[in-house]
Amino acid sequence: MSDVIVIGGGPAGLAGAIACASSGLNVTIVDEFIKPGGRLLGQLHQEPSGEWWNGIKESERLHQEARKLSVDIRCGVSVYNLEKENHLWNVYTNSGTLTAPFVLVATGAAEYPIPLPGWTLPGVMSIGAAQVMTNVHRVQVGKKGIIIGANILAFAILNELQLAGITVDRIVLPERNQISQKAGEPEEVMKSLLNAAHLAPSPLLRFGSRFMRRDWIRKIGLNFYPKNGVKVNGTPLQLRKAAIEIIGKDHVEGVRIADIDANGTIIAGSETIYEADFVCIAGGLYPLAELTAVAGCPFQYIPELGGHVPHHSETMETPLEGLFVAGNITGIESGKIAMAQGTTAGLSIAKHVGKGAGTIDEQLQQAVKNVRTVRQHAAIQFNPEINSGRSKMNQLWDDLYANNNREDSPKKIV
Amino acid sequence: MANMGEIVICRCEEVTYGQLQATAEEHKCTARELKLRTRAGMGFCGGRTCRPSLDRILESVIPNIAPGEIPLKYQPPIRPVTFGTVGENQ
Ligand SMILES: Cc1cc2nc3c(=O)[nH]c(=O)nc-3n(C[C@H](O)[C@H](O)[C@H](O)COP(=O)(O)OP(=O)(O)OC[C@H]3O[C@@H](n4cnc5c(N)ncnc54)[C@H](O)[C@@H]3O)c2cc1C
Ligand code: FES
Repeated sequence: MSDVIVIGGGPAGLAGAIACASSGLNVTIVDEFIKPGGRLLGQLHQEPSGEWWNGIKESERLHQEARKLSVDIRCGVSVYNLEKENHLWNVYTNSGTLTAPFVLVATGAAEYPIPLPGWTLPGVMSIGAAQVMTNVHRVQVGKKGIIIGANILAFAILNELQLAGITVDRIVLPERNQISQKAGEPEEVMKSLLNAAHLAPSPLLRFGSRFMRRDWIRKIGLNFYPKNGVKVNGTPLQLRKAAIEIIGKDHVEGVRIADIDANGTIIAGSETIYEADFVCIAGGLYPLAELTAVAGCPFQYIPELGGHVPHHSETMETPLEGLFVAGNITGIESGKIAMAQGTTAGLSIAKHVGKGAGTIDEQLQQAVKNVRTVRQHAAIQFNPEINSGRSKMNQLWDDLYANNNREDSPKKIV
Repeated sequence: MANMGEIVICRCEEVTYGQLQATAEEHKCTARELKLRTRAGMGFCGGRTCRPSLDRILESVIPNIAPGEIPLKYQPPIRPVTFGTVGENQ
Protein backbone atom coordinates (compact mmCIF):
# COMPACT_ATOMS: atom_id res chain seq x y z
CA MET A 1 0.00 0.00 0.00
CA SER A 2 1.24 3.50 -0.82
CA ASP A 3 1.31 6.21 1.82
CA VAL A 4 -0.09 8.71 -0.64
CA ILE A 5 -2.19 8.46 -3.79
CA VAL A 6 -2.05 11.50 -6.05
CA ILE A 7 -4.99 11.85 -8.44
CA GLY A 8 -3.88 13.87 -11.48
CA GLY A 9 -0.36 14.05 -12.88
CA GLY A 10 -0.32 17.69 -13.94
CA PRO A 11 2.12 20.25 -12.50
CA ALA A 12 0.33 20.25 -9.12
CA GLY A 13 0.16 16.47 -8.81
CA LEU A 14 3.73 15.89 -9.98
CA ALA A 15 5.16 18.56 -7.69
CA GLY A 16 3.09 17.19 -4.81
CA ALA A 17 4.33 13.66 -5.44
CA ILE A 18 7.93 14.89 -5.61
CA ALA A 19 7.62 16.71 -2.28
CA CYS A 20 6.05 13.65 -0.62
CA ALA A 21 8.61 11.23 -2.04
CA SER A 22 11.49 13.54 -1.09
CA SER A 23 10.25 13.31 2.48
CA GLY A 24 10.47 9.54 2.30
CA LEU A 25 6.87 8.64 1.51
CA ASN A 26 5.68 5.97 -0.86
CA VAL A 27 3.69 7.64 -3.64
CA THR A 28 1.43 6.50 -6.48
CA ILE A 29 0.14 8.90 -9.15
CA VAL A 30 -2.86 8.02 -11.29
CA ASP A 31 -3.80 10.04 -14.34
CA GLU A 32 -6.37 9.31 -17.02
CA PHE A 33 -4.35 10.81 -19.87
CA ILE A 34 -1.82 8.78 -21.88
CA LYS A 35 1.12 10.61 -20.34
CA PRO A 36 1.87 12.74 -17.31
CA GLY A 37 2.08 16.54 -17.47
CA GLY A 38 -1.59 17.53 -17.48
CA ARG A 39 -2.33 20.86 -19.10
CA LEU A 40 1.36 21.70 -19.08
CA LEU A 41 1.70 19.54 -22.17
CA GLY A 42 -0.12 22.08 -24.28
CA GLN A 43 1.56 25.22 -23.02
CA LEU A 44 3.96 27.33 -25.02
CA HIS A 45 4.26 31.02 -24.42
CA GLN A 46 6.69 33.84 -24.04
CA GLU A 47 6.97 35.51 -20.65
CA PRO A 48 7.22 39.30 -20.32
CA SER A 49 10.93 38.73 -19.60
CA GLY A 50 11.28 37.29 -23.10
CA GLU A 51 11.89 33.78 -21.80
CA TRP A 52 9.84 30.94 -23.29
CA TRP A 53 7.64 28.76 -21.13
CA ASN A 54 7.73 25.34 -22.74
CA GLY A 55 5.23 23.12 -20.95
CA ILE A 56 6.39 19.91 -22.59
CA LYS A 57 9.97 20.40 -21.35
CA GLU A 58 8.70 21.42 -17.94
CA SER A 59 6.57 18.31 -17.59
CA GLU A 60 9.43 16.07 -18.73
CA ARG A 61 11.62 17.57 -16.04
CA LEU A 62 8.99 16.93 -13.37
CA HIS A 63 8.34 13.43 -14.68
CA GLN A 64 12.06 12.53 -14.54
CA GLU A 65 12.39 13.90 -11.04
CA ALA A 66 9.39 11.93 -9.84
CA ARG A 67 10.74 8.74 -11.40
CA LYS A 68 14.12 9.22 -9.78
CA LEU A 69 12.30 9.27 -6.45
CA SER A 70 10.57 5.99 -7.37
CA VAL A 71 7.11 7.48 -7.64
CA ASP A 72 4.79 4.91 -9.21
CA ILE A 73 3.11 6.71 -12.13
CA ARG A 74 0.11 5.03 -13.74
CA CYS A 75 -1.33 6.67 -16.86
CA GLY A 76 -4.56 5.88 -18.65
CA VAL A 77 -6.26 5.23 -15.32
CA SER A 78 -9.49 7.10 -14.52
CA VAL A 79 -10.69 7.60 -10.98
CA TYR A 80 -14.47 7.43 -10.77
CA ASN A 81 -15.10 7.54 -7.04
CA LEU A 82 -13.37 8.47 -3.79
CA GLU A 83 -14.56 7.27 -0.42
CA LYS A 84 -13.31 6.94 3.12
CA GLU A 85 -13.54 3.63 4.93
CA ASN A 86 -11.94 2.78 8.27
CA HIS A 87 -9.57 5.75 8.23
CA LEU A 88 -8.31 4.87 4.77
CA TRP A 89 -9.23 6.38 1.43
CA ASN A 90 -10.50 4.09 -1.29
CA VAL A 91 -9.64 5.38 -4.74
CA TYR A 92 -11.84 3.57 -7.25
CA THR A 93 -10.36 3.40 -10.74
CA ASN A 94 -11.17 1.65 -14.00
CA SER A 95 -8.31 -0.71 -13.21
CA GLY A 96 -9.02 -1.60 -9.64
CA THR A 97 -9.24 0.06 -6.25
CA LEU A 98 -6.26 1.66 -4.54
CA THR A 99 -6.11 2.41 -0.84
CA ALA A 100 -4.04 4.87 1.17
CA PRO A 101 -4.27 7.02 4.29
CA PHE A 102 -3.53 10.19 2.29
CA VAL A 103 -4.91 11.41 -1.01
CA LEU A 104 -3.92 14.49 -2.97
CA VAL A 105 -6.56 15.50 -5.52
CA ALA A 106 -4.98 17.56 -8.30
CA THR A 107 -7.45 17.12 -11.13
CA GLY A 108 -7.05 20.58 -12.63
CA ALA A 109 -9.69 22.45 -14.58
CA ALA A 110 -12.32 22.00 -17.28
CA GLU A 111 -13.71 24.45 -19.80
CA TYR A 112 -16.95 26.40 -19.61
CA PRO A 113 -19.08 25.66 -22.65
CA ILE A 114 -20.84 28.31 -24.72
CA PRO A 115 -23.81 26.59 -26.31
CA LEU A 116 -24.98 28.14 -29.58
CA PRO A 117 -26.84 26.85 -32.63
CA GLY A 118 -24.57 24.59 -34.67
CA TRP A 119 -22.05 23.92 -31.90
CA THR A 120 -22.44 20.17 -32.29
CA LEU A 121 -21.14 20.22 -35.89
CA PRO A 122 -17.84 18.46 -36.59
CA GLY A 123 -15.12 21.09 -36.71
CA VAL A 124 -16.36 22.89 -33.59
CA MET A 125 -14.13 22.34 -30.56
CA SER A 126 -13.23 23.95 -27.29
CA ILE A 127 -10.16 26.16 -27.42
CA GLY A 128 -8.41 23.69 -25.10
CA ALA A 129 -9.05 20.85 -27.53
CA ALA A 130 -7.41 22.93 -30.27
CA GLN A 131 -4.42 23.40 -27.95
CA VAL A 132 -4.08 19.68 -27.26
CA MET A 133 -4.46 18.75 -30.93
CA THR A 134 -1.88 21.32 -31.98
CA ASN A 135 0.78 21.01 -29.29
CA VAL A 136 0.33 17.48 -27.93
CA HIS A 137 -0.88 15.44 -30.91
CA ARG A 138 0.53 17.71 -33.64
CA VAL A 139 -2.62 17.55 -35.71
CA GLN A 140 -3.72 20.57 -37.73
CA VAL A 141 -7.19 21.52 -36.52
CA GLY A 142 -8.10 23.29 -39.76
CA LYS A 143 -7.00 25.94 -42.20
CA LYS A 144 -9.00 28.95 -41.18
CA GLY A 145 -10.84 29.29 -37.92
CA ILE A 146 -12.92 31.64 -35.82
CA ILE A 147 -12.63 31.87 -32.04
CA ILE A 148 -15.82 32.59 -30.11
CA GLY A 149 -15.08 34.15 -26.71
CA ALA A 150 -12.41 36.70 -25.82
CA ASN A 151 -10.40 35.85 -22.73
CA ILE A 152 -6.84 35.19 -21.62
CA LEU A 153 -6.95 31.52 -22.51
CA ALA A 154 -8.15 32.38 -26.02
CA PHE A 155 -5.22 34.77 -26.50
CA ALA A 156 -2.64 32.32 -25.20
CA ILE A 157 -3.90 29.57 -27.50
CA LEU A 158 -4.41 31.95 -30.45
CA ASN A 159 -0.71 32.56 -30.28
CA GLU A 160 0.03 28.84 -30.22
CA LEU A 161 -2.18 28.20 -33.26
CA GLN A 162 -0.40 31.01 -35.10
CA LEU A 163 3.00 29.55 -34.22
CA ALA A 164 1.80 26.31 -35.79
CA GLY A 165 0.93 28.15 -38.98
CA ILE A 166 -2.84 27.95 -38.58
CA THR A 167 -4.88 31.01 -39.58
CA VAL A 168 -7.35 32.40 -37.10
CA ASP A 169 -9.62 34.71 -39.03
CA ARG A 170 -11.09 36.64 -36.10
CA ILE A 171 -12.10 36.53 -32.45
CA VAL A 172 -15.71 37.47 -31.74
CA LEU A 173 -17.94 37.35 -28.65
CA PRO A 174 -20.72 34.86 -28.06
CA GLU A 175 -24.26 36.19 -28.33
CA ARG A 176 -25.31 37.56 -24.94
CA ASN A 177 -27.80 35.30 -23.22
CA GLN A 178 -28.60 33.61 -19.94
CA ILE A 179 -25.75 31.15 -20.36
CA SER A 180 -22.97 33.25 -21.90
CA GLN A 181 -23.76 36.11 -19.50
CA LYS A 182 -20.80 38.52 -19.11
CA ALA A 183 -18.80 36.80 -21.86
CA GLY A 184 -21.34 38.31 -24.27
CA GLU A 185 -21.12 41.89 -22.95
CA PRO A 186 -18.40 43.96 -24.66
CA GLU A 187 -17.99 46.26 -21.68
CA GLU A 188 -17.44 43.40 -19.25
CA VAL A 189 -15.07 41.66 -21.63
CA MET A 190 -13.10 44.87 -22.13
CA LYS A 191 -12.85 45.31 -18.37
CA SER A 192 -11.38 41.86 -17.84
CA LEU A 193 -9.00 42.18 -20.78
CA LEU A 194 -7.64 45.52 -19.62
CA ASN A 195 -6.40 43.91 -16.47
CA ALA A 196 -4.32 41.56 -18.53
CA ALA A 197 -3.27 44.18 -21.02
CA HIS A 198 0.38 43.24 -20.88
CA LEU A 199 -0.61 40.00 -22.54
CA ALA A 200 -2.50 41.59 -25.36
CA PRO A 201 0.04 42.74 -27.88
CA SER A 202 -2.33 45.38 -29.12
CA PRO A 203 -1.60 49.07 -28.78
CA LEU A 204 -5.20 49.92 -28.01
CA LEU A 205 -5.43 47.57 -25.07
CA ARG A 206 -1.99 48.33 -23.74
CA PHE A 207 -2.28 52.05 -24.16
CA GLY A 208 -5.85 52.04 -23.02
CA SER A 209 -5.32 49.97 -19.95
CA ARG A 210 -4.30 52.87 -17.77
CA PHE A 211 -7.06 55.32 -18.40
CA MET A 212 -9.79 53.03 -19.67
CA ARG A 213 -10.27 51.68 -16.19
CA ARG A 214 -12.81 54.46 -15.73
CA ASP A 215 -16.29 53.28 -16.63
CA TRP A 216 -17.34 56.21 -18.77
CA ILE A 217 -14.13 56.28 -20.74
CA ARG A 218 -14.48 52.60 -21.37
CA LYS A 219 -17.96 53.15 -22.71
CA ILE A 220 -16.76 55.86 -25.05
CA GLY A 221 -13.83 53.68 -26.01
CA LEU A 222 -16.20 50.89 -26.92
CA ASN A 223 -18.46 53.18 -28.90
CA PHE A 224 -15.49 54.19 -30.98
CA TYR A 225 -14.10 50.69 -31.01
CA PRO A 226 -13.09 50.08 -34.62
CA LYS A 227 -15.71 48.04 -36.43
CA ASN A 228 -13.12 45.68 -37.77
CA GLY A 229 -11.58 45.26 -34.36
CA VAL A 230 -8.04 45.75 -33.20
CA LYS A 231 -5.40 43.28 -34.22
CA VAL A 232 -3.95 40.81 -31.76
CA ASN A 233 -0.89 39.39 -33.47
CA GLY A 234 -2.55 39.99 -36.81
CA THR A 235 -5.93 38.50 -35.85
CA PRO A 236 -8.77 41.00 -35.44
CA LEU A 237 -10.32 41.03 -31.97
CA GLN A 238 -13.89 42.14 -32.67
CA LEU A 239 -15.53 43.10 -29.39
CA ARG A 240 -18.52 44.61 -31.19
CA LYS A 241 -19.46 41.45 -33.05
CA ALA A 242 -21.22 38.33 -31.78
CA ALA A 243 -21.54 34.81 -33.16
CA ILE A 244 -25.20 33.94 -33.74
CA GLU A 245 -24.90 30.53 -35.32
CA ILE A 246 -22.32 28.10 -36.62
CA ILE A 247 -23.35 26.91 -40.04
CA GLY A 248 -22.47 23.94 -42.22
CA LYS A 249 -24.00 20.78 -43.60
CA ASP A 250 -21.75 17.95 -42.41
CA HIS A 251 -18.92 20.11 -41.14
CA VAL A 252 -18.31 23.73 -40.14
CA GLU A 253 -18.54 25.99 -43.17
CA GLY A 254 -18.85 29.37 -41.51
CA VAL A 255 -20.23 31.48 -38.69
CA ARG A 256 -23.14 33.88 -38.85
CA ILE A 257 -22.02 37.01 -37.06
CA ALA A 258 -23.88 40.21 -36.14
CA ASP A 259 -22.85 43.64 -34.88
CA ILE A 260 -23.64 44.37 -31.24
CA ASP A 261 -23.77 47.53 -29.13
CA ALA A 262 -21.63 48.15 -26.06
CA ASN A 263 -24.02 46.07 -23.93
CA GLY A 264 -24.11 43.14 -26.29
CA THR A 265 -27.52 43.81 -27.87
CA ILE A 266 -27.69 42.71 -31.47
CA ILE A 267 -28.07 45.39 -34.12
CA ALA A 268 -30.83 44.25 -36.44
CA GLY A 269 -29.96 43.62 -40.06
CA SER A 270 -26.20 43.51 -39.48
CA GLU A 271 -25.69 39.77 -39.95
CA THR A 272 -22.92 38.46 -42.18
CA ILE A 273 -21.61 34.96 -42.74
CA TYR A 274 -17.86 34.52 -42.45
CA GLU A 275 -16.26 31.41 -43.84
CA ALA A 276 -14.30 29.07 -41.60
CA ASP A 277 -13.50 25.37 -41.50
CA PHE A 278 -13.10 25.20 -37.74
CA VAL A 279 -14.48 27.05 -34.73
CA CYS A 280 -12.99 27.25 -31.24
CA ILE A 281 -15.23 27.97 -28.29
CA ALA A 282 -13.41 29.80 -25.50
CA GLY A 283 -15.67 29.96 -22.45
CA GLY A 284 -12.95 30.06 -19.78
CA LEU A 285 -12.03 27.55 -17.10
CA TYR A 286 -13.63 26.12 -13.97
CA PRO A 287 -12.08 23.95 -11.22
CA LEU A 288 -12.66 20.24 -11.86
CA ALA A 289 -13.57 19.24 -8.33
CA GLU A 290 -15.96 16.32 -8.86
CA LEU A 291 -13.92 13.85 -6.80
CA THR A 292 -13.74 16.06 -3.73
CA ALA A 293 -17.50 16.53 -4.09
CA VAL A 294 -18.27 12.80 -4.08
CA ALA A 295 -15.83 12.40 -1.17
CA GLY A 296 -18.05 14.73 0.82
CA CYS A 297 -15.93 17.86 0.99
CA PRO A 298 -17.83 21.12 1.61
CA PHE A 299 -17.74 23.69 -1.21
CA GLN A 300 -17.92 27.42 -1.70
CA TYR A 301 -18.83 29.36 -4.83
CA ILE A 302 -16.08 31.93 -5.40
CA PRO A 303 -16.30 33.47 -8.88
CA GLU A 304 -12.75 34.90 -8.68
CA LEU A 305 -11.44 31.34 -8.36
CA GLY A 306 -13.49 30.15 -11.34
CA GLY A 307 -16.54 28.62 -9.66
CA HIS A 308 -17.22 26.06 -6.92
CA VAL A 309 -14.08 25.12 -5.00
CA PRO A 310 -13.59 22.64 -2.14
CA HIS A 311 -12.88 24.24 1.24
CA HIS A 312 -9.12 24.25 1.80
CA SER A 313 -6.44 25.93 3.86
CA GLU A 314 -3.36 27.74 2.59
CA THR A 315 -1.44 24.57 3.41
CA MET A 316 -3.76 22.71 1.03
CA GLU A 317 -5.61 20.51 3.51
CA THR A 318 -9.37 20.01 3.26
CA PRO A 319 -11.69 19.54 6.24
CA LEU A 320 -11.64 15.79 5.48
CA GLU A 321 -8.85 14.05 7.36
CA GLY A 322 -6.16 12.84 4.97
CA LEU A 323 -7.58 14.62 1.92
CA PHE A 324 -5.50 17.36 0.30
CA VAL A 325 -5.92 19.46 -2.84
CA ALA A 326 -3.59 21.47 -5.09
CA GLY A 327 -3.55 23.24 -8.43
CA ASN A 328 -6.49 24.42 -10.48
CA ILE A 329 -9.00 22.42 -8.44
CA THR A 330 -8.51 25.17 -5.81
CA GLY A 331 -8.90 28.04 -8.30
CA ILE A 332 -7.88 28.82 -11.87
CA GLU A 333 -4.28 29.99 -12.15
CA SER A 334 -1.25 29.29 -14.31
CA GLY A 335 1.04 26.26 -14.34
CA LYS A 336 3.82 27.67 -12.17
CA ILE A 337 1.39 28.42 -9.36
CA ALA A 338 -0.10 24.93 -9.59
CA MET A 339 3.41 23.57 -9.16
CA ALA A 340 4.10 25.71 -6.10
CA GLN A 341 0.78 24.63 -4.58
CA GLY A 342 1.64 21.00 -5.26
CA THR A 343 4.90 21.34 -3.35
CA THR A 344 3.00 22.91 -0.47
CA ALA A 345 0.46 20.08 -0.42
CA GLY A 346 3.24 17.47 -0.49
CA LEU A 347 5.04 19.04 2.46
CA SER A 348 1.76 19.41 4.28
CA ILE A 349 1.12 15.67 3.91
CA ALA A 350 4.68 14.90 5.06
CA LYS A 351 4.02 17.01 8.11
CA HIS A 352 0.82 15.13 8.91
CA VAL A 353 2.65 11.83 8.65
CA GLY A 354 5.31 13.19 10.99
CA LYS A 355 8.16 13.28 8.46
CA GLY A 356 10.83 15.95 8.05
CA ALA A 357 11.70 16.12 11.73
CA GLY A 358 12.37 19.62 13.01
CA THR A 359 12.51 21.46 9.71
CA ILE A 360 9.11 20.60 8.27
CA ASP A 361 7.23 23.59 9.70
CA GLU A 362 9.76 25.94 8.26
CA GLN A 363 9.73 24.19 4.88
CA LEU A 364 5.96 24.35 4.78
CA GLN A 365 5.87 28.03 5.66
CA GLN A 366 8.44 28.69 2.98
CA ALA A 367 6.34 26.81 0.44
CA VAL A 368 3.21 28.81 1.30
CA LYS A 369 5.20 32.00 0.93
CA ASN A 370 6.53 30.78 -2.38
CA VAL A 371 3.00 30.31 -3.74
CA ARG A 372 2.31 33.99 -3.00
CA THR A 373 5.57 35.09 -4.63
CA VAL A 374 4.96 33.04 -7.77
CA ARG A 375 1.44 34.46 -7.93
CA GLN A 376 2.78 38.00 -7.74
CA HIS A 377 5.09 37.42 -10.69
CA ALA A 378 2.74 35.31 -12.81
CA ALA A 379 2.87 36.10 -16.51
CA ILE A 380 -0.66 34.79 -16.98
CA GLN A 381 -3.40 35.51 -14.52
CA PHE A 382 -6.81 34.17 -15.52
CA ASN A 383 -8.81 36.30 -13.10
CA PRO A 384 -7.60 39.80 -12.20
CA GLU A 385 -9.28 39.50 -8.78
CA ILE A 386 -7.46 36.30 -7.87
CA ASN A 387 -6.02 37.71 -4.64
CA SER A 388 -9.46 38.61 -3.39
CA GLY A 389 -10.70 35.11 -4.24
CA ARG A 390 -7.81 33.53 -2.34
CA SER A 391 -8.43 35.75 0.71
CA LYS A 392 -12.09 34.77 0.74
CA MET A 393 -11.16 31.11 0.99
CA ASN A 394 -8.51 31.74 3.65
CA GLN A 395 -11.00 33.76 5.67
CA LEU A 396 -13.61 31.07 5.35
CA TRP A 397 -11.12 28.44 6.49
CA ASP A 398 -10.12 30.52 9.50
CA ASP A 399 -13.74 31.10 10.44
CA LEU A 400 -14.88 27.53 10.06
CA TYR A 401 -11.96 25.32 10.96
CA ALA A 402 -8.96 27.12 12.39
CA ASN A 403 -10.32 29.21 15.23
CA ASN A 404 -10.29 26.29 17.59
CA ASN A 405 -7.18 25.10 19.29
CA ARG A 406 -5.05 24.15 16.30
CA GLU A 407 -3.75 20.85 17.60
CA ASP A 408 -6.60 18.60 18.67
CA SER A 409 -9.24 20.84 17.17
CA PRO A 410 -12.64 19.31 16.47
CA LYS A 411 -12.51 20.81 13.00
CA LYS A 412 -11.85 17.58 11.18
CA ILE A 413 -14.69 15.74 9.60
CA VAL A 414 -13.57 12.15 9.98
CA MET B 1 -31.38 36.29 -33.86
CA ALA B 2 -30.92 32.74 -32.72
CA ASN B 3 -33.79 30.78 -31.36
CA MET B 4 -32.61 29.95 -27.82
CA GLY B 5 -35.10 27.11 -27.48
CA GLU B 6 -33.42 24.96 -30.09
CA ILE B 7 -29.90 25.22 -28.76
CA VAL B 8 -28.60 21.87 -27.56
CA ILE B 9 -27.39 22.25 -23.96
CA CYS B 10 -26.57 18.66 -23.04
CA ARG B 11 -24.73 17.27 -26.04
CA CYS B 12 -24.48 13.69 -24.81
CA GLU B 13 -28.20 13.32 -24.27
CA GLU B 14 -29.26 15.92 -26.87
CA VAL B 15 -31.41 17.99 -24.54
CA THR B 16 -32.30 21.49 -25.70
CA TYR B 17 -32.66 24.72 -23.80
CA GLY B 18 -36.35 24.73 -24.72
CA GLN B 19 -36.92 21.26 -23.23
CA LEU B 20 -35.15 22.23 -20.01
CA GLN B 21 -37.09 25.46 -19.63
CA ALA B 22 -40.42 23.79 -20.39
CA THR B 23 -39.77 20.91 -17.97
CA ALA B 24 -38.64 23.25 -15.21
CA GLU B 25 -41.69 25.41 -15.66
CA GLU B 26 -44.20 22.60 -15.87
CA HIS B 27 -42.96 20.64 -12.87
CA LYS B 28 -41.35 23.43 -10.83
CA CYS B 29 -38.61 20.90 -10.20
CA THR B 30 -35.46 20.68 -8.16
CA ALA B 31 -32.09 20.35 -9.85
CA ARG B 32 -32.10 16.60 -9.40
CA GLU B 33 -35.61 16.20 -10.71
CA LEU B 34 -34.84 18.29 -13.78
CA LYS B 35 -31.89 16.03 -14.45
CA LEU B 36 -33.87 12.84 -14.02
CA ARG B 37 -36.78 14.06 -16.14
CA THR B 38 -34.67 15.24 -19.07
CA ARG B 39 -31.49 13.15 -18.63
CA ALA B 40 -29.48 16.38 -19.04
CA GLY B 41 -26.15 15.85 -17.29
CA MET B 42 -26.51 12.07 -17.27
CA GLY B 43 -24.61 11.35 -20.50
CA PHE B 44 -21.26 9.81 -21.30
CA CYS B 45 -19.19 12.83 -20.23
CA GLY B 46 -20.82 12.80 -16.80
CA GLY B 47 -21.93 16.38 -17.22
CA ARG B 48 -18.45 17.81 -17.63
CA THR B 49 -19.65 19.69 -20.73
CA CYS B 50 -23.17 20.76 -19.84
CA ARG B 51 -23.03 21.16 -16.05
CA PRO B 52 -22.06 24.87 -16.02
CA SER B 53 -24.89 25.68 -18.45
CA LEU B 54 -27.34 23.59 -16.44
CA ASP B 55 -26.26 25.43 -13.28
CA ARG B 56 -27.03 28.76 -14.93
CA ILE B 57 -30.41 27.59 -16.10
CA LEU B 58 -31.15 26.23 -12.63
CA GLU B 59 -30.19 29.53 -11.02
CA SER B 60 -33.07 31.17 -12.81
CA VAL B 61 -35.53 28.41 -11.97
CA ILE B 62 -34.50 27.94 -8.34
CA PRO B 63 -33.71 31.33 -6.84
CA ASN B 64 -31.38 31.87 -3.87
CA ILE B 65 -29.06 28.91 -4.18
CA ALA B 66 -26.63 29.30 -1.26
CA PRO B 67 -22.99 29.93 -2.23
CA GLY B 68 -21.98 26.83 -0.29
CA GLU B 69 -24.20 24.61 -2.39
CA ILE B 70 -23.55 22.98 -5.73
CA PRO B 71 -26.82 23.33 -7.65
CA LEU B 72 -26.61 19.90 -9.29
CA LYS B 73 -25.08 17.34 -6.91
CA TYR B 74 -22.25 15.10 -8.05
CA GLN B 75 -22.81 11.37 -7.96
CA PRO B 76 -20.34 8.55 -8.41
CA PRO B 77 -19.32 7.18 -10.81
CA ILE B 78 -17.97 10.47 -12.20
CA ARG B 79 -16.46 8.68 -15.19
CA PRO B 80 -18.12 6.12 -17.44
CA VAL B 81 -17.36 2.61 -16.16
CA THR B 82 -18.66 -0.82 -17.03
CA PHE B 83 -20.90 -2.68 -14.62
CA GLY B 84 -18.09 -5.21 -14.47
CA THR B 85 -15.63 -2.69 -13.10
CA VAL B 86 -18.01 -1.45 -10.45
CA GLY B 87 -18.99 -5.00 -9.58
CA GLU B 88 -15.44 -6.19 -9.13
CA ASN B 89 -14.82 -3.50 -6.59
CA GLN B 90 -17.62 -4.51 -4.34
C1 LIG C 1 -7.66 23.79 -21.84
C2 LIG C 1 -6.72 24.44 -20.87
C3 LIG C 1 -5.70 25.23 -21.35
C4 LIG C 1 -4.82 25.85 -20.47
N1 LIG C 1 -3.82 26.63 -20.98
C5 LIG C 1 -2.96 27.24 -20.14
C6 LIG C 1 -1.88 28.02 -20.64
O1 LIG C 1 -1.71 28.15 -21.85
N2 LIG C 1 -1.04 28.60 -19.74
C7 LIG C 1 -1.21 28.44 -18.39
O2 LIG C 1 -0.39 28.93 -17.60
N3 LIG C 1 -2.22 27.72 -17.92
C8 LIG C 1 -3.11 27.11 -18.74
N4 LIG C 1 -4.13 26.38 -18.25
C9 LIG C 1 -4.34 26.34 -16.81
C10 LIG C 1 -3.80 25.04 -16.30
O3 LIG C 1 -4.88 24.41 -15.70
C11 LIG C 1 -2.64 25.25 -15.35
O4 LIG C 1 -1.59 25.86 -16.03
C12 LIG C 1 -2.07 23.94 -14.80
O5 LIG C 1 -1.87 22.99 -15.80
C13 LIG C 1 -2.94 23.40 -13.72
O6 LIG C 1 -2.27 22.30 -13.17
P1 LIG C 1 -3.01 21.17 -12.38
O7 LIG C 1 -1.95 20.21 -11.99
O8 LIG C 1 -3.85 21.77 -11.35
O9 LIG C 1 -4.02 20.50 -13.42
P2 LIG C 1 -3.78 19.84 -14.85
O10 LIG C 1 -2.55 20.29 -15.48
O11 LIG C 1 -5.05 20.06 -15.59
O12 LIG C 1 -3.66 18.28 -14.52
C14 LIG C 1 -4.75 17.55 -14.04
C15 LIG C 1 -4.56 16.09 -14.40
O13 LIG C 1 -5.54 15.33 -13.71
C16 LIG C 1 -6.00 14.30 -14.55
N5 LIG C 1 -7.34 13.92 -14.10
C17 LIG C 1 -8.43 14.72 -13.95
N6 LIG C 1 -9.48 14.02 -13.48
C18 LIG C 1 -9.05 12.74 -13.34
C19 LIG C 1 -9.68 11.53 -12.90
N7 LIG C 1 -10.97 11.50 -12.50
N8 LIG C 1 -8.95 10.39 -12.90
C20 LIG C 1 -7.65 10.40 -13.29
N9 LIG C 1 -7.00 11.51 -13.71
C21 LIG C 1 -7.69 12.66 -13.73
C22 LIG C 1 -5.96 14.89 -15.93
O14 LIG C 1 -5.81 13.88 -16.90
C23 LIG C 1 -4.74 15.81 -15.87
O15 LIG C 1 -3.58 15.21 -16.37
C24 LIG C 1 -5.00 25.69 -19.09
C25 LIG C 1 -6.03 24.88 -18.62
C26 LIG C 1 -6.88 24.25 -19.49
C27 LIG C 1 -7.99 23.37 -18.95
S1 FES D 1 -23.06 17.09 -22.25
FE1 FES D 1 -24.52 16.62 -20.77
S2 FES D 1 -23.80 14.76 -19.95
FE2 FES D 1 -22.35 15.19 -21.48
